[in-house]
Amino acid sequence: MNSAPALAVEALTTEFRIEGRWHAAVRDVSFAVTRNETLALVGESGCGKSITALSIMGLVPKANGRIKSGRVVLDGRDLVGLPEAQMEKVRGGAIAMIFQEPMTSLNPVLPVGFQIQETLRYHTSLAPAQARARALELLSHVKIPSAARRFGDYPHQFSGGMRQRVMIAMALACNPRILLADEPTTALDVTIQAQVLALLAELKSEYGMAMLFITHNLGVVASIADRVAVMYAGDIIEMASVDALFARPTHPYTEALLSSIPRVDRHAGDLKPIAGQVPPITSMPQGCRYADRCPLRVAQCATMPPLVALADDATHRARCWVRAGGAALQ
Amino acid sequence: MTALLEVRNLVKTFAVRRGFMGGDRATVHALSDVSFTVEQGEAFGLVGESGCGKSTAGRAILRLIEADSGRVLFNGENVHDADARQLRRLRRRMQIVFQDPYSSLNPRRTIGRTLGEPMRVHGLGSPREIAARVRAVLAEVGMPSDAADKYPHEFSGGQRQRIGIARALVLEPELIVADEPVSALDVSIQAQILVLLRGLQERRRLGFVFISHDLGVVRHFCRTVAVMYLGRIVEQGRVPQIFDEPLHPYTRALRAASPVPDPKARVIMTRLEGEVASALAPPRGCHFHPRCPHAMPVCRETYPPWVQVAADRGVACHLYPAPAAPT
Repeated sequence: MNSAPALAVEALTTEFRIEGRWHAAVRDVSFAVTRNETLALVGESGCGKSITALSIMGLVPKANGRIKSGRVVLDGRDLVGLPEAQMEKVRGGAIAMIFQEPMTSLNPVLPVGFQIQETLRYHTSLAPAQARARALELLSHVKIPSAARRFGDYPHQFSGGMRQRVMIAMALACNPRILLADEPTTALDVTIQAQVLALLAELKSEYGMAMLFITHNLGVVASIADRVAVMYAGDIIEMASVDALFARPTHPYTEALLSSIPRVDRHAGDLKPIAGQVPPITSMPQGCRYADRCPLRVAQCATMPPLVALADDATHRARCWVRAGGAALQ
Repeated sequence: MTALLEVRNLVKTFAVRRGFMGGDRATVHALSDVSFTVEQGEAFGLVGESGCGKSTAGRAILRLIEADSGRVLFNGENVHDADARQLRRLRRRMQIVFQDPYSSLNPRRTIGRTLGEPMRVHGLGSPREIAARVRAVLAEVGMPSDAADKYPHEFSGGQRQRIGIARALVLEPELIVADEPVSALDVSIQAQILVLLRGLQERRRLGFVFISHDLGVVRHFCRTVAVMYLGRIVEQGRVPQIFDEPLHPYTRALRAASPVPDPKARVIMTRLEGEVASALAPPRGCHFHPRCPHAMPVCRETYPPWVQVAADRGVACHLYPAPAAPT
C-alpha cells in the first residue's frame, strides 16, 4: 500500500460550548487515509463522526464550536487554522464532500449542468465552453441517463438517486484527492443505494481517490470499506481492516453493535440490544465512555484506556482494558 | 377460527395536480388489488421501497384514508361499511404506531395526559382508573414511573417510541399497524424496541401489520411478508422462504441490494438497473418489466396473474405460470 497518506488527521479534538462550558464532541482522534483506499467512520448518532468530517473541511460552526487541538494534514500541509480564503480553494478542490441530502447543497433555481460548470470555473482556469464540455462529461461519467438532455434540468426534476449522482459529479469536478462522503446513501432506497455505492467504488479506483465514508450502517460499511474506524461518544474505540473488524470485533461496543443488527441473510435468533444510552456530552464519564453499558466492566475502566494494537495483529487496534489491554504499553 | 384481519382487493387512487399552477390532473394508483390475511397474534410484514404503497395500505386498513374499493374485515367485521359508532368501537381494537412518535405526541401535554386521552374519549374509567392504567402501560413499555408527568421533549428518540407504543396499547388493541416503527432509531435502540414489540406480541397475543423498508427488521420480526412494488403485492409468503429463496425478480433484487454486516457477503454490485417508475404512469404490463433482467414479450403486455405456488406462498410473475389443472 502507498505509504504516504493522502489525508492524515492527528490528535484532533473538536469542542462545543454548551451553557458556557466547552465539551469535546471529538476527542483525540487520529487516522490516515491513503490513495485508492476507503476508510469508513461508523457509529451511532452523536458519536462524533460528522463533526470529524466538518473539522476536516474547516466547517465547524464558529459561533459555538472550535478545533481545540490537533492537525489535519493534506499533502504535508496543516489545514487547521488556514485562512478562509485558502480553505475555500481546498473545499471542492483537493477535498470534496457529498452529504446525505443533496437538495441542501444544490441550488434549486439553477440548472444542474450550470452548477457543475460553475464549480469548474471557480476552481480551474477552464474557459466557459471547456467547462461546459467537462461538466457534461462528468454527468455522463456518473451514469445519468441521457446526460446531454438533462444538462439544463433543475434539481427538483431529478430523483433522489439522480441528485446524489449530480452531487458526485460536482465533487469529482476538480479531481479531488479526498472524497468525504457523509451518509451519502442513507436517504435512498436500497436498490438505489446499491447503485450509488457501486458508482462510488468504481470512481474511487478510477480517480485513485482516498475516500472517507461516514455512515451508521454496518451493512454499508461491509460493502464499501477497506478499513473501518468505530466511534463512540467522540472516541475512536476500534480500528481495523474491514475483514478483521467483522471477523473479530474486539471492543465490547463493536461486538454488541453487530449482535443488535437484525440480518436479512440469516435467522439470527434473539437480538441482543445494548442496554442504556450514550452518556450526554455534558456529563461524560472520566474513564471509558462505554463502561456504564459494558458487561465486561472492571475497576480499571474508571481510567480511559488507550487505543492499542492487538498482540497478534498490529493493524487491529482497540480501546479496551479487558479486550486489548494496554497497561503494560503505557 | 376467523382471521384477525382480512384485506381483499383494496384499491386506492389519488388525484393529483401537476404542471404549472397545478393545471394538469393525473391519477396515482397507490394501491391496486391488494389482498392479504393476518392471523390472530401474527406479525405480518409489508415491505417495499418509497412510494410502493405500503403506508397507504396501513392507513387504509384503519380507515385513516378511505379506500376506493375492496374490503377490510377485522375479526370478520367489515371495517369499510362500519358507521361512525361501529368504527369508533373497532378503532379501540386496532391502533397505529408511527415512525416519528414526536409528531404524534402533543408537545404541550404531559405524557400522562396524552396517554389517558383515548380512554377519556371512549369513556373508559374514572380519572383515578385512567391514571393507574397509564402508569401500568408505561411500566410495560419500560418507562420510569415519573414519565407520565413529563413532556415529549424531555425524552430521547427511543423513549419517545416507547411512549408511542404505550399510547397504542392503552386501549388494549388486538391489532397494531406499525409504520416504520424503528426506522428513525440507531441500531442499538432499534434492537431495544424490537425486543419490546416481540415481548408485547407474545404476552398479549397482539397481531401486527409491520410496515418497513428494512428486510432485516422484517425477517426478524415477521412470520409472513408481502413485497410491494408500485401499488401491488408482487410476492407473499413465509419469512425465511421469501428472503432465502425469493421467486419474483424484484424480491431477488431487493434482497441482493440489502446490505449485510459481513464483508464476505458484499452487496453484489451487478445491481438492478434503472429506478422505480412513476406511480403516475406505471409501465404497461408488469410494472417491473423495464428493470427486470428476465423480461419477456408477455411482460410488456399483460400484468401477470397471482399464482399460488404453494399453500402459503404466491407470486405475480410470468416466470411462474399457473399450474395446469389436475387431469
